[in-house]
Amino acid sequence: MRLLLVEDELEIQTLLRSGLEEAGYEVDVAGDARQAEQLAMASAHEILIVDLGLPDRDGISLILSLREMGVSAPVLILSARRSVDDRVRGLEQGGDDYLTKPFAMAELLARLRNLLKRNNPGVGEPTKLRVQDLELDLLRREAMRGGQTLQLTPQEFVLLEYLCRNAGRVVTRSMILDKVWGMRIQPDTNVVDVHIYRLRGKVDGKGLQPLIRTLRGVGYVLKDR
Amino acid sequence: MSSKTAKPVMHSAAWRISLWATLAFACGTMVVFAFLHRFVSNDIQQRTDAWLAGEVEVLGDVAEHTPKNALYDRVVSEVAELASEEVPNRLRSEGRANDLVFFLQTDTKGTLALWVGAGSGAPYLDAIRRQPFPPDAPQHLRVAGSNVPFRVVAARIDDGSVIYLGLSERDELRVLRSLRFRFFTWWLLLVLLGFAIVFYTTRRMLSHVRDITEAASRIGHTELDKRVPTSGRNDEVAHLARTLNRMLDRIESSMHQLHTITDALAHDLRSPLTAIRGKLEMSLSAATHGEQAEPIVAAIDELDRLTEFLNTSLDVAEGKADALRLSKSEIDLDDLLRGMADLYEPSMSEKNLRMTLKSHSPLTIRADAGLVHRMISNLFDNELKHLPAGCMIHMRLEAEQEQARLTVEDDGPGFAPEILPHLFERRVKGRQSSGHGLGLAFVEAVARAHGGNVAASNREEGGARLVLTLPRGLAQEPEAAMLPVSAFRA
Repeated sequence: MRLLLVEDELEIQTLLRSGLEEAGYEVDVAGDARQAEQLAMASAHEILIVDLGLPDRDGISLILSLREMGVSAPVLILSARRSVDDRVRGLEQGGDDYLTKPFAMAELLARLRNLLKRNNPGVGEPTKLRVQDLELDLLRREAMRGGQTLQLTPQEFVLLEYLCRNAGRVVTRSMILDKVWGMRIQPDTNVVDVHIYRLRGKVDGKGLQPLIRTLRGVGYVLKDR
Repeated sequence: MSSKTAKPVMHSAAWRISLWATLAFACGTMVVFAFLHRFVSNDIQQRTDAWLAGEVEVLGDVAEHTPKNALYDRVVSEVAELASEEVPNRLRSEGRANDLVFFLQTDTKGTLALWVGAGSGAPYLDAIRRQPFPPDAPQHLRVAGSNVPFRVVAARIDDGSVIYLGLSERDELRVLRSLRFRFFTWWLLLVLLGFAIVFYTTRRMLSHVRDITEAASRIGHTELDKRVPTSGRNDEVAHLARTLNRMLDRIESSMHQLHTITDALAHDLRSPLTAIRGKLEMSLSAATHGEQAEPIVAAIDELDRLTEFLNTSLDVAEGKADALRLSKSEIDLDDLLRGMADLYEPSMSEKNLRMTLKSHSPLTIRADAGLVHRMISNLFDNELKHLPAGCMIHMRLEAEQEQARLTVEDDGPGFAPEILPHLFERRVKGRQSSGHGLGLAFVEAVARAHGGNVAASNREEGGARLVLTLPRGLAQEPEAAMLPVSAFRA
């Protein structure tokens, strides 16, 4: 999977490149808008990451001119700015996404996956999710582990569903707050941890192999093997 | 705005100004008229008195030189009648002159000697006797049976008798009455007309002021690029509008300056924070042992807290300057509170705190979703961090006509009295508080930016109470409702 990264700050550029390559992306790196246009013309990319503060041009005008040049790949916009430009909102409504610095690598990767999925809607949505011996029936909103039905509240089911859809991948607290509760907040109390703790009590019963793992400092992961 | 224009006209400044101006005009003209009236009546009286003095001299002469025989009465009467033909100020339409003038002569004993005039002379004599008559000084005389006073002058002649010549003041009074009637008719017309003119012009002028006020209040702190309407004229109102606009220019530029500073600060700090976070994450994935990972994890947590502190701190700074940028959309507070309560419920019950939420129906407001979410979560965090175990939290969401009100009450220890007056200032926190002291300052900044407010107090029965009010703001700017509901982290 080929990706174009447009970021002027060398340190962040290096970190992102290694993180992305580790996640399996083939990364082209541009340090400014001119170079980005050349690279975009030279080869086709499936997804773009564009920082808004470029040395020679504004990131948004770069995205707009790339669009005019026929580049239709989705864009993940990175910004260190505080206010969100109206043009960014426009792009967001057009299917692109936006991430504020600083961010967790896991969140960047999750957003990239989302953008790619949105652009290639694959076969119809499954009605059942299965991770090891955990099974979720999305229509009946029921979860089973090893044949035993789990007594989950509707909210706990949504949380577990989100973890299952991202099985094997790290999800951060702010991703959970955003996707499960629809809130972009950073509480300075451990509200998400307590939810996970409760869910774990129900999913990882006595004598079962623990599925929900805490990666301290990063987030959570539902083990898929 | 509509409530302002709909208020009764009697409460408007234009009405009051016209009322006072008209009153001043009416009183002024009244005083001028009073002087004029006095002048006219004095003038008429002087002329009357001059005539009386002249005539009484003639009559005195005649009475003195006419022999006292049978013809005396006749001669004097003829002269007196002739004199009455030349009455001054006489209205021409009045044919009968002899009831306007009388001539009376008393002999040395003071009894009636000769009477020329209408009716009997006796009541006249009675009236004359009742008041002293110095010679050659005209006096007013009221006679029983006649409702009009006379102007009377007396003259003593050598044989010891006294003659009196009287002229009715009827015509004089009639002239003055007609003068008064005409004046009051015109005066009333002028006062009414003046009132109408003053009211119309002040209302027009003040309606421009009202336009400016309305525009200025609309500009508030959100639409700083707008300006109040200016008229092409060069009067005080236009000057006011131009001054306001110049002031708005300065506010806009300093606010722009503030935004530039906070944006640059955020940008310059976030880029290195991103690099540090990335490096920490990389070393975390390389660390295999728990002991190696522990300090890295702690560093990432600290870094995230620092980032959040930076964001909130800049928001509070902008909020205190009324410069917080809002991107409004419609949000359902009821829905938001239920979601938030659901999110915090496990943490609350973990700490043995119980929570009730009283809210009846969807309550939609237009506000910045991201900021309002963070504000509400700050309120929950605040309760969660500061309440000792076993307490109750009651939340109540009420819809009022133009605003939404959220009351948060608990039965904990309440706010310490020494921090209560400074609760919404930066860095103010209780002694046991672990937070950065920005939580409630942020709540206040967001509430203010939306035109609402937050009030904190201690309940009489113990515990703390926070009341947050936000205007619903649904009536205005419906065209902006297309913005996405979710907003970005600032």
